[in-house]
Amino acid sequence: MARRLLSSLGQFLATLLVATALIFVMLRVMPGDPAVVALGINATPEALAQWRTEYGTDQSLALQYLQWMGGLVRGDFGTSYVTSQDLSPLIADRVQVTLILVGLSMVVALLVAVPLGVLAAVRHRYPSGVVLSGISQVGVAVPNFLVGVLLVAVFAVHLGWFPSGGWVAPSDDPVQFLRRLVLPVIALGSVQAAIITRYVRSAVLEIMREDFLRTARAKGLTKGAALVRHGLRNAGVPVVTIVGVQLAAMLIGSVVIERVFVIPGLGSLLVDSVGNRDLLAVQAIVAVLVLLVIVINLLVDLAYTVLDPRLRKAA
Amino acid sequence: MVTSLDTTDSVGMPVPAPSVPGGGRRRNRPGTQLIVGAALIALVALVALVSLVWTPYDPVATVASDRLQFPSAAHWFGTDRFGRDVFSAVMVGSQITLIVGFIAVGIAVVIGVPLGILAGMRPGRLGNLVMRGNDILLAFPGLLLAIVFGAVFGAGTVTAMVALGIGSIPAFARVARSGTLQVMKTDYVFAARAANRSEFRIALRHVLPNISGMIVVQCSVNFGIAVLAEAGLSFLGLGTMPPTPSWGRMLQESQQFLGSHDYLAMAPGIAIAVAVLGFNLLGDGLRDRFDPKMRSNR
Amino acid sequence: MNARIPHRLVAATAVAAASILALSACSAGSSSGGGSATSDAVVIGLTGEPVNLDFTTTSGAAIPQVVMNNVYEGLVTIDQDGELQPQLAESWEVSEGGTVYDFVLQDGVLFSDGEDFTADDVVFSIERVQSDAWLNGTKSKMDVVDSVEAVSDTEVRVTLSRPSNAWLFDMGTYVGAMFSETGVDDLATEPIGTGPYTVESFVSGDRITLAGRDDYWGEEPDITDVTLRYFADAVASTNALRSGDVDMVYNMQAPDLMGQFESDEAFQVIEGTSNGEILLSMNNKVAPFDDVRVRQAVMYAIDRQAVIDAAWAGYGTEIGAMVAPTDPYYEDLTDLYPYDPEKARELLAEAGAENISITFDVPTRPYATAVSEIVVSQLAEVGIDASIQSSEFPAVWLDKVFTQADYQMSVILAVEARDVLATFNNPDYYIGYDNAKIADQVIAADSGTPEEYVSGMKEVVRTITEDAASDVLFLFPNLVVAKAELGGIAANAVTESLVLSGLTWTD
Repeated sequence: MARRLLSSLGQFLATLLVATALIFVMLRVMPGDPAVVALGINATPEALAQWRTEYGTDQSLALQYLQWMGGLVRGDFGTSYVTSQDLSPLIADRVQVTLILVGLSMVVALLVAVPLGVLAAVRHRYPSGVVLSGISQVGVAVPNFLVGVLLVAVFAVHLGWFPSGGWVAPSDDPVQFLRRLVLPVIALGSVQAAIITRYVRSAVLEIMREDFLRTARAKGLTKGAALVRHGLRNAGVPVVTIVGVQLAAMLIGSVVIERVFVIPGLGSLLVDSVGNRDLLAVQAIVAVLVLLVIVINLLVDLAYTVLDPRLRKAA
Repeated sequence: MVTSLDTTDSVGMPVPAPSVPGGGRRRNRPGTQLIVGAALIALVALVALVSLVWTPYDPVATVASDRLQFPSAAHWFGTDRFGRDVFSAVMVGSQITLIVGFIAVGIAVVIGVPLGILAGMRPGRLGNLVMRGNDILLAFPGLLLAIVFGAVFGAGTVTAMVALGIGSIPAFARVARSGTLQVMKTDYVFAARAANRSEFRIALRHVLPNISGMIVVQCSVNFGIAVLAEAGLSFLGLGTMPPTPSWGRMLQESQQFLGSHDYLAMAPGIAIAVAVLGFNLLGDGLRDRFDPKMRSNR
Repeated sequence: MNARIPHRLVAATAVAAASILALSACSAGSSSGGGSATSDAVVIGLTGEPVNLDFTTTSGAAIPQVVMNNVYEGLVTIDQDGELQPQLAESWEVSEGGTVYDFVLQDGVLFSDGEDFTADDVVFSIERVQSDAWLNGTKSKMDVVDSVEAVSDTEVRVTLSRPSNAWLFDMGTYVGAMFSETGVDDLATEPIGTGPYTVESFVSGDRITLAGRDDYWGEEPDITDVTLRYFADAVASTNALRSGDVDMVYNMQAPDLMGQFESDEAFQVIEGTSNGEILLSMNNKVAPFDDVRVRQAVMYAIDRQAVIDAAWAGYGTEIGAMVAPTDPYYEDLTDLYPYDPEKARELLAEAGAENISITFDVPTRPYATAVSEIVVSQLAEVGIDASIQSSEFPAVWLDKVFTQADYQMSVILAVEARDVLATFNNPDYYIGYDNAKIADQVIAADSGTPEEYVSGMKEVVRTITEDAASDVLFLFPNLVVAKAELGGIAANAVTESLVLSGLTWTD
C-alpha cells in the first residue's frame, strides 16, 4: 500500500513536470512578441528592449522555464504583461469559483443519479426503469449550454425567480451566493446526472447478474438486501471512474456555463486571457487546470485501491 | 489500471455509459439501441449528403426583407435575423458536425490505436513509457487544447477538430491496450509467436481484427463527444467561423431571440441532440455486440 | 436508499465539496452583487472590458470610457451637445494669431492622492503626451503644441506652432487628461486624477467599482457607489437588467432585444447620438484594394440600409462618410455611392478583378460578426469571395490588423470623436490611404478661420470618400436601456467617455 502510494506520488510529480514543460513550450509558439502585445502600437525599439529586460523575455527559454517553475513552486504566477495585475490572487479567486461550481454540481448530480440509477437498474424490466433509462439517454445528448440558456430565459427573465447570473462571494452574502448558484448548478449538474445515472444503472445491472448475488439470494436474502449487502460496493469502482473523468472534464467544460451565467471562473479567465494574448496568464491557468486534472486522476487511482481489495493486491 | 470504463471523456462533455452485456439485451429485442442509433445517424448523414447538392435556399444568402420569419410552408424552420433559411442552415450544419467528428475521431484512432497496441504487445518498459506519455496527455482535456490552440494557430474548424482529436488519443490508446493485452494471452497469438511471425504481422493479423470491435464502439462514443464539443466551442465563438453554418453558433446567435423567436434555438438544439443521441445509442448497441467480456467468456 | 457504498460515496463527495466551500467561503471570487439597493449606488452593464486602465500605453475606447471625466479631467470637456465647456480651466483666451492659449486654472483642486493641481501639472501632462512615456497613437494630436509654460500656479500658456481649430477640442478628449506629477507610477491599475471618482477595485473579467470622492473640487455627484459590470455577451447584460442585477446597460449590443424593453414600462430606452462609425476598412496598400476601382466597387456593392436592418435591427444611420452629423463639418454624402451591384461588377471588370478572393478579418465583437455575415453575402453577389477570419478583440485585432496592417479587409467601430483625419490623413495608419491629395488642405483648414475650417474639412472628406478610402457602413447608435427611475443618463456618446457624475435616482 505504502509503495503504491509512493509510486503514485512519483508518477504524479513526473507527469506534472513534463506537463508544465509542454505548456511552456506550446505557448512560446504563440504568435506575437509579448513586448509588442504589452506595449502596443508605436512603442519605440528602446522601450521594447527595456521591457524585455524587465520581464526577462530576452533570456534563454530554459532559464525562463526554470524561473517560471521556481515561481510556481512558491505559488507565484508572476505579473500579467497585459493587465499589469498580480496573477496569483486573481487565479486563486477564479479557481475557488470554478471548484465551488463544479463541486456543487457534482454533488447534486450524484444525489440525483445514484438513487435513480439504482432504481433504473432494479426496475429495468418495468416501464418506470425503461422511462428513466430513456430520459437519461436523452439528457446525455443535450448540450449543457442549451439547458443553461433555457433556464435563464424561463426562470430568470420570464418568471424572475432567480438572478440571471453573476456571482456573489459566500462571505459577502450567503443567501445571494446560493440563489445565484441554483440555475448554473442545475444546468451543469443535470447533464452530469444523466451521465452518471447511466453508469450507475449499468454497474448495478452487471452486479445483479453476478454469482455472489445469486448465492446470497439462494441463502434466502431478498433481492434488495442482497444488492445492498454485496453488490453496491463493487458498483463503486465504475462510478468513481466516471465521477473522476467527469470532474476533470467539467473543470474546463464549465467555461460554457460560466459564459452563459456570467460567472467569473477559471475557464472564462482562460478564454479572456487568450483573447488578450496574455501569455503569462494563459500559461498559469493551463498549468493550474492541468494540475487539478492530474490530482483528480490521482485521487481516482487511490479510490480504486480503497474500494476494490483485488486491485490492492494486484498493485 | 484498466477497466471496461476507460472511455475517457476529454472535452467536458458526456460519456455514454456502457450498456451492460446481456442486461440490456434481455430487456430489449436484440439490437433496438443499435437500430435506433443507426437510423438517427443515417438520417444525419443523409441530410448532410443531400445538402451537398441541394438545399431549399442558399444557406448563407442574406435577404433583408425576409428576416425573422416564423416557420411557414416557404421556410419550414423560419428565417434568422439575416433572412437566411434556418432549415437550409441546419441541413448544411450537419456537414460541419460530421466532418469535425470524422477528423477528430480519425486523428485519435490513427495515433491512439497503434500506441495502444504497442503498449499492449510490449508490456515492459516501452509499454510503460507509452502509457505514461498517455497519462500526461490525459491531463490536457480536448476543450482546453482547443482553446489554447485557438490562441496559437487561430480559432476555427480545423483547429477545433485537431485539438479534439488529440484530446481523444488517450481514450483510444487505453482501449487498444486493454484489448491487446487480452488478445496476447490467446492461443493463436502464442502459436503465431511460436511460428516466428513478425510482431508487426501479429499486430496486423491477429491483434487489430480482434480489437476492432472495441475500437468501433469507442469511435461512436467519441463521435458524440466531438459533436457536443464543437457545438460548445462554436457557442464560445472559438469553433466554426461564420458564415459557414454551424449548429453551435446558430444556438449562440439565437439567444437574442429567445422569447420572441424560439424556433431559432429549437432547430439547432434538436439537431445536436439527435446527432449525439444517435452516436451514443449506436455505441451502446455496438458494445452489446462486441463486448470483450462476452467474447472471452465464449 | 439504504445502499452502503453509494452512501459512503455521496458522503465522501459531499465532505469534499463542503470542505471546498469552507475553504473558499472566506474569500472566494470577491464578486458581483445585485443591482443597487441604495439611492447612492448604481450598477451599469457594459460589453468590452478594458485590459488595464492606462490609455497612455494601451489603445481601445474601453479605458477612456471608464476613466475620462470620472477619474481624470481635462482643462476643457465636451458636453452632451458636443460643445466645448470649461473644466479644470476656469477660462481661457486665444491670441490674435490663434497660436497662443492662456488658461486660468480652477483654484483648490486636489488630485485623489491629496496633491494640489497646479500649472506645473498641466505642463507635465502636456509634455508627457509628447514624450516617449505616451505610446498610444493618438499622441499625434499634441504635435501642434510648440511649448507650454506655467506662468503662475494657476496660469498656463500654451503656444502652438500654427493655429489649429482642432486642438482645443482634442484637449477635451483623453489626450488632454491632467495627471499628477507624482501619480503616474501605476496608471494601469491605480489612476490618479482630479475627477469626482476614484477606482475602488478592478476585478478583471468582472467589474470595476468607482467611489465618489469627499474632496472633489466640483459638485459632488448624487451617486457615489458606481459598479461597472462587464459582460462577454450582450444578451447576458440585458438578462441581468431584466432580472434586476444591473440598473442600466450602456451601449447595448443586442439591438433585437430593444423592442421588448420599449414596450415595458419598467424600463427606459434611449438612442443617444454617437461618434461611432462602423467602418468597413480596406487596406489601400495591398491588392486588390490598392486599386481605387475595386474599392469603389465595394462601395457600390453594399446596400447599407440592408446592413443596418439585418445586422442591427434597423438602429443606425447611413452617413456616407466618416463624419458624425453632430460634427461641424458634416455633409450628407450618402448619395455618392448608391447600392448598385451592376456598377460594382463593371468596375471590377474594368480593374480586371472579377471573381476575386479576399480574407476578411473580423474582430470578435457583436456588431462586427453581425455586420460581416451580411457584407460577405453582398460581396458574393458581385463576385468578391470574402472568407471570414476571426481576430480576437482587442489583442489580436490590434496587433495584426491595426499595428501590422497585415490584412485586406476588416470592420471596426471607430468611436473616437472627429477621427476622420486620424484615420485617413496618415499613410502609415492601417488603412494606408495615400493622403498626398489632402495633407495640405488639412493644414490649411485647421489653420484657417472657423468658416474656412468647416468648408475646408468638407472638401477633404469629399475627396476621401470619392477615393473610396474605406466604406463607412453606418453611424453606430448608442443604445441605452435603463430602469425607468434612473435619471441623468449621459446617453450621447460625444467622446469615448461615459460621464457618470450626473446620474441620479428619481422617485
